[in-house]
Amino acid sequence: MTTMTRRELLKASGAAGLVIGAPAVLSAQSKEPIPIGTLCPLTGAGGSYGPDMQRAVVAVVERINKAGGIHGRPIQLFHEDDQTNAEAGVRAARKLIDVNRVVAIVSTWASAVTLAVRPLCVEAKVFLIGVSGADTVTQGEHKGYVARTQPNTNLQGRMYAKFAVSKKEWKRVAYLALQTPYARSFGDAFTGILKTAGVTITDDLIYEDKKPSYRSEVTRILATNPDMIMLEGYTPDSVVMAKDIYKAGYKGAILAPSFAINAKFIEGVGAEVAEGIWNMDRAPLYDSPAYKEFSAAVLRTDQSPYAPQAWDQMSIVALALAAGRGEVSGTVIKDHLRAVANPPGTVVYSYAEGAKLLGEGKKVNYEGASGSCDFDAIGDILSAPFSVQQVRRGKSELVQIINP
Amino acid sequence: MPPIAQYVFNGVVTGGILALPAVAFSLLWRLLRFPNFAVSTYLTVGAYVALMLNQGARARIELAWLGALAVTGVVALAVDRIAFRPMRGRRPFSLAIASIGVAFVLENLVRFVWGNDFRSFDVPVTRATSIAGIRVGRDQLLILGVAVAMMALAQAFLLRTRLGIAMRATADNPLLAAVKGVPTERVIAVATLGGGALAGGAGVFLGLDASIDPLMGGGLIISVFAAAILGGVGSAPGALAGALIVGIVEEVGTLVVPPTYKTAIGFTIILAVLLVRPTGLAGARA
Repeated sequence: MTTMTRRELLKASGAAGLVIGAPAVLSAQSKEPIPIGTLCPLTGAGGSYGPDMQRAVVAVVERINKAGGIHGRPIQLFHEDDQTNAEAGVRAARKLIDVNRVVAIVSTWASAVTLAVRPLCVEAKVFLIGVSGADTVTQGEHKGYVARTQPNTNLQGRMYAKFAVSKKEWKRVAYLALQTPYARSFGDAFTGILKTAGVTITDDLIYEDKKPSYRSEVTRILATNPDMIMLEGYTPDSVVMAKDIYKAGYKGAILAPSFAINAKFIEGVGAEVAEGIWNMDRAPLYDSPAYKEFSAAVLRTDQSPYAPQAWDQMSIVALALAAGRGEVSGTVIKDHLRAVANPPGTVVYSYAEGAKLLGEGKKVNYEGASGSCDFDAIGDILSAPFSVQQVRRGKSELVQIINP
Repeated sequence: MPPIAQYVFNGVVTGGILALPAVAFSLLWRLLRFPNFAVSTYLTVGAYVALMLNQGARARIELAWLGALAVTGVVALAVDRIAFRPMRGRRPFSLAIASIGVAFVLENLVRFVWGNDFRSFDVPVTRATSIAGIRVGRDQLLILGVAVAMMALAQAFLLRTRLGIAMRATADNPLLAAVKGVPTERVIAVATLGGGALAGGAGVFLGLDASIDPLMGGGLIISVFAAAILGGVGSAPGALAGALIVGIVEEVGTLVVPPTYKTAIGFTIILAVLLVRPTGLAGARA
C-alpha cells in the first residue's frame, strides 16, 4: 500500500515542479522517453555477473516508470553486451551514444571496458558509471562525467587495515603482493594505517608472476616472524604461494582478497592448507532498507557485490535527473550527482522517496543497497562496507561485516 | 635474516628441475643445429599427461610420472616427424622459428583440451623438516634426487652406449658420422624421444612443486635457454651446471635486489659470464 501513497505523492510533486521553475516547464511537458544505456558483461569473463546487474537496473527503471517516470517522462533502457572485451565495449558504446542518444551508460564491469568507453562518453557528454576497480578509471581529465561505486585500491587497503587492526593478536604483519598496477597503492594504504595503529610491518615484498616457486620470497618473509601475512595476489600465484608458506611451516594467519581465495584456490591447495585463511570482499549494506528492497525485487544467480551497485547506479542517475528540474542530459546528471548522493540532505533509500523530497525543493542524500554512495571530487566513492570470510573445512564462511 | 644456505638450497631445487629440460634443449641443439623452443612446452605436456593419469585414472603419482615420461617422449618424436624432419637442412633460423610455432600449437592444444584454469595433482602438501637449520621438504629432496639420477643416466648413455657414442659423433660432425655408417635418423629419433621424456618428467616435478597451467613450461623457456648457453651448447654436465647457477643466482639474488627483479638479476649475471667466457662453462665448440 505504501507504493500507492508514494505514487500519489509523486504525481503531486510533479505538479508542484511544473509550477516552480519556468524554463523547466517546457521540457518537462515533453513525454518523450529518457534514453539510458546499460553496458554489462553478459558474456566473457564477467558473464556470471552482468545478467544480475542488468536485472537490477531493469527493476529500478520499472519502479520509476510505474510511478510516472522522471518529470513525467519514462526511462527507456537500451541494453548492450560488452562481452567483457574493450573492443566490443567500444562498439556497443558507440551504438548507444550515436544511435540511441543515451544520456548515461550504467553498469560497466571490467576496468578495461570502462577505460575504453570513457573517452567516448566524455566527448559526447554522456554520464558513465560502473563497478570497475582500477584506480585509472577515475584518474585524469574526465570533466566529472565518470563515477563508480566500486572502491578504489586506497579505500580497499584502508578497509583491509581496519579489519587487521581489529584483530588484536596480529602485532606483526608482513605485506606480500603480486606485482600488479595496484600492489603499491593498496600496500601503502594498508601498511600506513597499521603502522599508525602501532602494528609492526615486518616486511613489504612484491613478487613476480609465473615463477616456478616462491620459496626464497617465503624464506625472506618468514625470517621476519610475522603473525599475519597479507597476501595480495590472484588465484594462480596465491596457490603456489600458500603452498610454499605452508610447506615452510608457517602457523600464523593469512589475509587475502576473496577474488583470489575462491573455490578454485581451495581445490588447488587442498582443504588443509586453505584452512583458516581470512579473505575480504566488497559487501552490500545488508541492513539498509535499499538492500532489502533490492533483494526482494531482483532475482539473482550469484551473490557477487555488483548487482546491488548496479541498482544504486540507476537510482542515483535517475535522482540526479530529477534534481535537474526538467532538462535531460549527461551534464545534468554529473552536475547533480553529488547533490543527490552526498550529505547534507534528508537520507533517502529509493528513487521514489528522493524524487518526492526533491519535488518539495528539499535536499536529499541517497543511501543505497551497496553502501552510502557518497562521491569524492573525481567520482570515487568515499566508503563501502566489506565482508570478512574465513575458510573453514574447505569452504569460505561469512564471519563479519566491516562497516566504514 | 636466515642463513644464505637456505637460499642456495632453494636455488638448487629450482635448478634441479630446470636442469632436465636444459640438458634436453642443449643436446638437441647440438645434434640438430637449432634451438628447439618447443622443449619447454614438453614440460606442460608432461604435467598434463601425469594429471590425466593421476586424477582421471586415479594412478599413483609415481606411475603417472612414468606415464608422462613415455607419452611426452612419443609426443616429441611425433612433433619431430611432422614438423622438423621435412625441414632438415634448412637454415637454423627457420627451424628455430618453426619450433616457436610448434610451442604455440602444443600450448593451445593443451588449453583446448583442459582449459585455461590451473590444476594441481592429487597429492597431500606436507610441512618441511629442518636439517642443520635449513628447511627441506620431502618432495623437494625426492625431486632433486630423481633429477640427479636422470641426469646421471643420460650422461652414462652418452658416454657408454654405442647409440650414445653415435649421437655424440653425429653432433660433432653429421656428415662424417653418416659417411662412417651412423644411422643419423635413428640417432635423432632416440635423442628426441629421450629429450622429450626428460622435459616431460621435469614438467611433473614443476607441477608438484607449484601448480599446473597451460603456460607453465613456456614461461621457463628463457631460463632453459640461459642454462644451456651458460653451460655451453651440447654439453650435458654444462647444462646441469648452468641450470644450477641460474637457479641459485635467482634465489640468492633476492637477498640484495627486490624479488620483483628476479628474472633480471639472473640475466645480468649470465650476460657477465658470457662476456668473459663466450663458449659457456663447459667450453664446447660453439
